[in-house]
This record gives sequence, C-alpha cells and structure tokens, in this order.
Amino acid sequence: MKTKLNKILKDFAKGLEEVKNTLQLEELEQRFFSRRSGEMTEIMKSLKELSGDAKKEFGKLANEVKKELENLYSKKKQNLDKVKMGGIADKERIDITQPKLPKTERGHLHPITQEMRAVEDVARTMGFMVEDGPELESNYYVFESLNIPEHHPARDAQDTFYIKDKPDWCMRSHVSNMQVRLMQKYGAPLRAAHPGRVFRNEALDATHGHTFYQFDAIVVDKNLNVGQLVGVIKEFLKAIFKRDVEVRIRPGHFPFVEPGFEMEMKVTFGKGENAKTKWVEVVGCGLIHPNVLKEGGLDPKEWDGFAFSLGLDRLVMGKYQLEDIRHIHGGNINFLKQF
Amino acid sequence: MLISYNWLKHYVDLPDSLTSEELALKVTLSTVEVEGVDSKGKDLENIVVGKVKKIVKHPDADKLQVCTVSDGREDFQIVCGGSNVVEDMKVAFGKIGAKVLWHGEGAPVELKKAKIRGVESYGMICASSEIGLGEIYPLKDEKEILDLSDLDIKIGAPLAEALKLNDVVFDIDNKSMTHRPDLWGHYGMAREVSSLYNKKLKEYKTTEIKPGKEISLEVKVEDSKICPRYMAVAIDGIKIEPSPEWMQKLLLSVGLRPINNIVDITNFILFDLGQPMHAFDKRDLGGDKIVVRKATDGEKFVTLDEGKHKLDENDIVIADTKKAIALGGIMGGLNSEVKADTTTIVFESANFDATTIRKTATKLGSRTDSSTRFEKSLDPNNAELALKRAVGLTLEMCPDAKVVSNVVDEGDFSLSTGPIELPLDFLNKKLGVELGKKQVVKILESLGFEIKEKKDSLMVKIPTWRATKDISIPEDLVEEVVRIYGYNNIPVQLPKFPINPPSRNPLRDLERQAKDMIYMEYGYTETYNYSFVSPDTIEKMGLDIKDHIELDNPIAKDRPYVRTTLLPNLLENVEKNMHYTGDLKLFEVGKVFNKNCFGVRAETKSDELLPRQDTMLSLVYSSKNDKTPFYNVSDVVSGLLHELGVDYKLKVDTLTNKYIHPGRYAEIVAGDEVVGFVAELHPQVQTSLGISERVGMVEINLDNLLKYVKDKNDYEPMPLYPAIDRDVAFVVDKKITHKEIVDSLQGVNKLVKSVELFDVFEGEKIGKDKKSMAYHIIYRDNKKTLESNEVDKVHAKLIKKLEKEFDAEVRK
Repeated sequence: MKTKLNKILKDFAKGLEEVKNTLQLEELEQRFFSRRSGEMTEIMKSLKELSGDAKKEFGKLANEVKKELENLYSKKKQNLDKVKMGGIADKERIDITQPKLPKTERGHLHPITQEMRAVEDVARTMGFMVEDGPELESNYYVFESLNIPEHHPARDAQDTFYIKDKPDWCMRSHVSNMQVRLMQKYGAPLRAAHPGRVFRNEALDATHGHTFYQFDAIVVDKNLNVGQLVGVIKEFLKAIFKRDVEVRIRPGHFPFVEPGFEMEMKVTFGKGENAKTKWVEVVGCGLIHPNVLKEGGLDPKEWDGFAFSLGLDRLVMGKYQLEDIRHIHGGNINFLKQF
Repeated sequence: MLISYNWLKHYVDLPDSLTSEELALKVTLSTVEVEGVDSKGKDLENIVVGKVKKIVKHPDADKLQVCTVSDGREDFQIVCGGSNVVEDMKVAFGKIGAKVLWHGEGAPVELKKAKIRGVESYGMICASSEIGLGEIYPLKDEKEILDLSDLDIKIGAPLAEALKLNDVVFDIDNKSMTHRPDLWGHYGMAREVSSLYNKKLKEYKTTEIKPGKEISLEVKVEDSKICPRYMAVAIDGIKIEPSPEWMQKLLLSVGLRPINNIVDITNFILFDLGQPMHAFDKRDLGGDKIVVRKATDGEKFVTLDEGKHKLDENDIVIADTKKAIALGGIMGGLNSEVKADTTTIVFESANFDATTIRKTATKLGSRTDSSTRFEKSLDPNNAELALKRAVGLTLEMCPDAKVVSNVVDEGDFSLSTGPIELPLDFLNKKLGVELGKKQVVKILESLGFEIKEKKDSLMVKIPTWRATKDISIPEDLVEEVVRIYGYNNIPVQLPKFPINPPSRNPLRDLERQAKDMIYMEYGYTETYNYSFVSPDTIEKMGLDIKDHIELDNPIAKDRPYVRTTLLPNLLENVEKNMHYTGDLKLFEVGKVFNKNCFGVRAETKSDELLPRQDTMLSLVYSSKNDKTPFYNVSDVVSGLLHELGVDYKLKVDTLTNKYIHPGRYAEIVAGDEVVGFVAELHPQVQTSLGISERVGMVEINLDNLLKYVKDKNDYEPMPLYPAIDRDVAFVVDKKITHKEIVDSLQGVNKLVKSVELFDVFEGEKIGKDKKSMAYHIIYRDNKKTLESNEVDKVHAKLIKKLEKEFDAEVRK
C-alpha cells in the first residue's frame, strides 16, 4: 500500500511536470481522480477493505498523499491560469475614452434652488425653522405691518405690482411680509427663516429682474443687541461662503428696523497680481422696529428682535459670474444643464 | 445727489490732511452711501496757463497757424487752428500727455507729439469744450480757443489751480437718504461731517429783511395741511445778469447749469439749505395777492419746462387772483418766469405736504429737485432761513435792488420736538456696549439735539430739521448715537440660545425630496419661469381668462395675468428648446394662484382671505423618438409616488381642458382626492404653440399630495420559500387595459404574488384593433415550497380566465 501511494505521488508529480496546458491538466486529473477509475480514487476505495490498525495507518497516509496531490494540482492550475490571463490586457482591451452609448442624460437642479438649499441648510443648523408664505399678499403684510405707511416711497407703483380690482393686494416686493405673519403664528421666542420669490416692477435688463429671490431670517428673543446681530450674520456668511469673512456695517434705511444697516463683505476679484478687494453689500439688517413687534402681537418692552435679508440672485450671479440675470428665468436648457 | 467738497468747506473746517476718499468712507459708514468721488481737477493734468508769444502762418495750410507758446520757462511750437488766437493771448496750453476731448466729444485722448501738414506740434492750444469747461466758458464760435487773457493768472500755473477747479464732488445715493430731509443741502451735510470729525459747524448766516412799503403783498393759504408755511417778499431794482463766478462754479460742481443771478440764487439755496424756492416776475402777477389752493379738476397748466399738465383737486397750485402761476412744490409756471428784462421779482419760500407733492410728481411724471426734497418732509423753519439768505444774496448781487414789500409769512405748522427720554441702560442694552453718559451727550449735541441730563437717562429735544418724521422714538436716538460712535466699534458677540432643533416644514421637505428624485433618477432638469402669463397663451391653451388674477400695472404688457398652472410657460420652454435639442425633460416647482379658492387670511383684523396659492410640481417631456411620451412622464409619477409612500391610482375621467389629449389623460387620485394628472398635450394645441413633437405633461399639487405622503414604505418580511415563475403571452382587443388584466389575474389565486407586464405591441400581424401582451407571473406559497404541478394547475386556471374574461388568444 505504502509503495503504491509513493508511486502515485511520484507519477503525479512527474505527470504534472509534463503538463503544458489546461487540457493536459484535466487529463491528468482524470487519470488520478476520476470517480470511476482514478488511480487515487481506487486507492481510497481499497481502504474500505482494510480493517483495524492497518485501516487507520494507511487511511492517514492516503489522506496525506491525497492532500499533497491536490496541493500540487492547484499550484499548477494557478500557474497555468496566470499564463493564460497574461494576454488579457491586449486581447480584451477596450477604448476607455469612448462614452457609454446611448448617452445617459443627467438632470440638473436650478442654480437658485441649489443656493436656496445651501442657505436654508445653514439656517437650520443654526436653529432657524424655514417657513414659506403667500407670494400674492395683502398690502398690510407687505407694508403697513412693517411700519411702511401709505404713501411711503417704497409703495410706489413703479416698484410694486398691484392686483387689478384689489387695490389692497400686491405681488410681494420682499419676503419680509412673513415677519409679522410668523410672529402672529408662533409668538416669541422665535427663530425663523423665510426665503422666497419676490417681485418688483422694474424693466428687465442684464442686471435687473422683476422676479428675484430673497432669503430673510428673524430672531425674536430677550436682550438682543446689535453686537449679536453682527455676530449671527457673520457666522451665517462664514457657513455659506465656507471661509472666514471680513464684514463691516454701515447705515441702511429700512422702515421695519431701527437701527438699520447694510452689511458689507470683503470680496476679492481676480487672481494674483490683478486681484482687487472690494466691499460688497450682501445683507440688509437691523433691530426689528418696535412698531413691527407690536403688529406681531408682542410687547416691544419685553421682546427684542433682529432681522436680516440677503439676495440669492446676487449670490448666484457672483458665484458663477453670470453675465445676464435674465438667464435665471430664461428656461434655456443649455444654460440650465451647466449647474 | 452731488455734494461739493469746496461747498462743504464753507460751513466746516476740516483738517488739510483729510483726503476726499477718507471723508467719503466715513460718511458711507456713518451717514449715507457715497457712490462715487469725482476729483474735478484730475482731468486737467498737464494743462497749464500758456502765453502765445509769436504767430506765423502755416506754410502748407490756410486755416492753420504755427504758434510759439511759453509755459513760463520754455517755448513750444504748436500748430493751432483757433479762429481767435492772437499774440500775447493767455491760453489753456495742453502739453504732451494731457488728455483732451476731440471736438469736445467722446473719450479723452492723450496728446502726443504730432506732425500737422509737415509742421511739428508739441501739444495743443485748447478750446473750452475740449477740456470739459464748455459749460463755464461757452463757445461762441466752433473754432474758438479758450481766451484767458482777462484773468489774473500766472503763466505756467496748472490750469486747475489757476481756475480754482480743484473741487471734489461726492455722489450720494439718493435712496440711502430718503429718511433724512436735512441732508438734501450742503449745510445739513456739513453738520453731519462736523459731528463725524468733531469740528464746529459754522453758523448759517442770514440778515433780517427790512420790509418795504411800495407793495402790499397778500398770501392766502386755503389749507395749511397741504401748505404748512408760505413766505413771500417782493424786490425791485433787479438787473438780470450772470451770477458771480464763485456761485457758478459751485452750481456747476453739483451739475446745475448757471442761468442768471436770480435763478441761480434759488438753485444755490436749493443745494445749500435743501430748501426749494421760486422767483416770479412781478409783472406777470395779476395784483398783489397770491393764493395757495388745490387745483380744480381738469385745470390746465404749463410749467416752465414747457410741460403741459392737466391737474386735479389733489394737486397744489400757486395762483394770483386769476390764474395759476406755479405748480406748488414742483415747478414754476411758464407764464411768470424770470426773464432777461425782469426788474421786479417775488420770492417764494414755502413748505408743502410731502405726500401731496409725491403723489402729484409721480402722477405727472415730473420729479424735480424741488419735489424730491419736499417729499422727504422738510423743516418749515428752513423756509424762513432760505428767504433771508436769498434776499441777502440778491441785494449783494444787484446794487440797485431794494425790498419793496412786506414779508409775508402764512400758514400753520407745529413739530413734535419731544423731548424723548433715552435711558442709558436701554441704549447700552440695544447696542451691546457700555457707553458713558458724557460720550452720548456729546454725540447727540454735535448733531443738534438739546439734552437735559437726568440721573440714568437723558431728556432729548429733537432739532426741527430732524423732527418732521425722522426721529420720534428712543430707538431712533440709539441709531443716532451708534452711527456716530461707529457701528464697527461695537464688539461682535453671539447670543445664547437653547439647542432645540427647529421644527420641520413638511411641504419644503416634500419639495426637496421630489426635486431630487426627478432630477437624479429621471434626468429631468429644473427650470424657473415667471409667475406671469400672456392672454395669448391662455387662449391657445383653452384656459379661461376669467380664472386668472390680473396685475394692475404689469411690466410686460403682454403678460398681465398671474399663472394658475405652471404648464403654459413650461410649454413655451419646450417650444424654444426643441429648436436645438431632440429630447427635452424639464420640470418646475412653484406657486400658482387660484382666484376661485381661498387661502390664508389677508389681514389681522379682517376676515378677507387671500386667493389660494398652492405649490405645484409640473413636468414636460418631448422627444423626437417618442410618439407616446405619456409613458415616460407616468413612469416618473409612479416612481416618485412610490418613493413618497403615496397610495394612488390613475383614473380616466372626462376632461374639461382643451389642451389635453382626450385619449391620453389620467387623473392621479390619492385617497379620494385628485392630486394631479398625467397627460399628453393635445396635438392641435401642440401645433398652435409651434411644438414639433408630442409632449408628455404632469401636474401634481404638492399641498394636496402632502397628506398622503408616508415617511416609510410598506415592508413585507422576506419570503421563506422559493417562487416559481411562468410567462403568459396573448392577443386581446386594444381597449382592454393593463390595469384590468392585472386586477383580474391577481384575483386568480392567492398563490399569484405578482403580475408584471414585460412586452406589448401592435401590428398588422396581430390584427386590427388588437394588441399582443406578455406578462411575467410569480407564484409563491408563503407556507411551503411550491410543487411544479400545483403551479401548472393555477396557471391553467389563469389562462382560462384570460380567455373567458378578455377573449384573449393565448399563445401556447
């Protein structure tokens, strides 16, 4: 038995040496391991006929040999496979510069949506709820409730679209129409952002639109001050622009805040030697006027508030250096698919 | 508004080291926005006073001469075509490098050494228009050069210095000073600047008017609400002449053209004090009585710019006993203006109601320097200062002039000047900074406020020029203090807030989820359209104009209506884009305006409701290769609503809309509510809109859909036993719907787990009005492994059902 096994091992190893390809390897495998008549299979079968110590002894030996054979076989097979796959780089090479056919058309989100989301997300992380409201609005919420009495220049027909046969209604000229609505709905304390579409009766040209997008936010709480207003907006801008920002404020007149400011941010235009820094208006802001708090049903002696507003169109125009604001509502696929 | 630095210096002494840019920045950061700083002398660099020493004829040109011009040190050869050039003349000599306007037009051109008809020329003898001085020194002849011989100026001196054209002009953004009536003149701006630089503001000097007795002027103000104050005085002995050079220069610096001494005086006061005035020619007044009244309805009036106006009872006119002579607060009349031979004038210095003036000026489209100021609510006290100053200047400029009437002062006004109590604690709390009492008092006093100090607060009296509407509450005083203190000196801090997460806005979340799905999963591109539509599109779509809200003052006359659906504008996008693309997928989310349904409350104290404004989601799809684009858009609906967990069905219903294909339309029904529709555009409307291919459309009302959105889909536990699948293909009548078949087959047996269509086609081979369909059926038993023969039985039953119910020819 032992000699038989040794011979098998020897024969197998010798056979393996002569194997040149997978086909020959298979033949060799058949010779030794074929279920019916493989040399090794036969040995394993013959083990059954033994008994006692002999069975134990030769069984062990036979298994060791079998393992060894399998081992040799798989090594050889790996070698052969390696040789076979060696040519794959040439045989199966494709033109990886070629696009998939037919082309997959991707969809795109409008740049204003993208900007709006970015700003909304910043607001949410800073604890502001995001609310929405009517675009066709009463003069009360657009003007009166915001300390803009009748005959104030802001109410000129040249700035505001009014509704025919409904002289008390208009297309909102700013999203601040939501300030008093939110105070009435939620009371105080309050932290809310209210972005949206606004309308101004302005002739269209490359830099002026009659429809644009504002992002407003208000805070109503106790003991708010100008230093905090600046601090909050600065953090806000930092998050939107993803960098440290240098800001300054200067007076700005909005009837619904007192004091009112324009916040400017230092922006660098151009690169290298041609780089120029300029202060650019980005935010209108201020402490909420006591009359507005009163309209919101809040006692100005008890509550303070601040509000700030930024123009999303301007952010988008600046970000992409758009040459014409009319593209935003132009519906041209060649414009839209760039975003 | 333009502010001249030299003019400001009349009223406040500023340090010499202060540059105009620094001043502009300071004013911008504390008061109003300075949009531009224009250095007048800058344009006159390299232009000096020269003297023509010798003139010889140009050897080769009749109209040219060769001059020798000295700049005091050297002589230069200059070729000159000036018609008036003579020897010993003092001229404006543009040296090489100077910038001149060619023939007084276009962009400045830099002078270079030149050969003119063979003779070298080292510069140019300039005409006034060529160096931007055409307004001060008007040309009498086209070829005339600027003659400076009469002026006492040194040869070689820079021209800007010699002519004292060294002014700097600040351009102030008018919008930033709508709330500051006091800043519409140089004196008010000087007050502000004096406060910013801690300098003393000089007194506004006027002299009392000594009344005359020759004329007894009478003024009647019919309504002191529209005219709180009207002052007038008559002066005789006027000689109409140009105003003195100092005045002309100041006027020119702020963009006003000098006219004559009297008109210039009123314009000077306009920009000095910010008080509009007017001078009438006394000859044109019928009598000595002036009436300030409302115009009569339909009254016609011609202003001195020859504008013809039709007035009504909301406008103010100044009239004599017979006729109107001025449009109050806006402009004088052509019938009574000061003329070259005027000898007696009546000065008007008045105050008019801001709102009335604003309405008239807007209505007549006649916004003047005067109306712009009155509509800011001017201090009536300025009327008096202005009149005194104007009379003083007139007497100075016309040595023979004399006041010949009483000084009339009519009207009735009162200002609320406080005092306002400003607690220091309140101030510091609002600012987040600790300012001392002394500092606050100093700031407020420098702006003209009068202070009475109390223990912890200040009693602040408002100066009249700030009391008309600008300042009335303690918050207003906070702003005054902080802007002078410096906004940017306030320490930046962050508030302390509790860390509760903000409440969600479910509609906004839905919008975002829907958009993401549609653009990422289905390759649609988002577009934004205006909220306005044209009657033409409304009509083409077969919508009813009566359902649309109309703008009172549309900017685009062709789009006066507010949209009730997003589709019309989206279809316009399709039309435009299909010219350069063969495949278009667009969507939009936006509000539409429904006149016939009610939305939120319009006002706190009223029951009126605004029209309903729902947020719509619409898709359009059109492709050269797709004759039934319906399926593409309905696929989006199915995917989207599945993702949103909305249980819905598509329902065929009768249509009311002309623009929808009657055979390719389905309502999207969730619960019992129609939340939208899927359709194709009616081919007829498609053609009339100029669209070449079929269009698939979807509209979903997100506000309505919201109730049916679930934040999770239904889950079935993973099956324990394997499934067996069988395919079935058959031919049926075209009218049989997929849904009918699915509903029927699913009811065959509980082993049928899913019925999925994988092929459908029509064709001649199949037969007329027939279609071939193929389904993939999955059978599974939840309790045990299915045997093949069990499935065979059920599948046979299924086939029988198809044959019986739908008369299907099943392929075997």
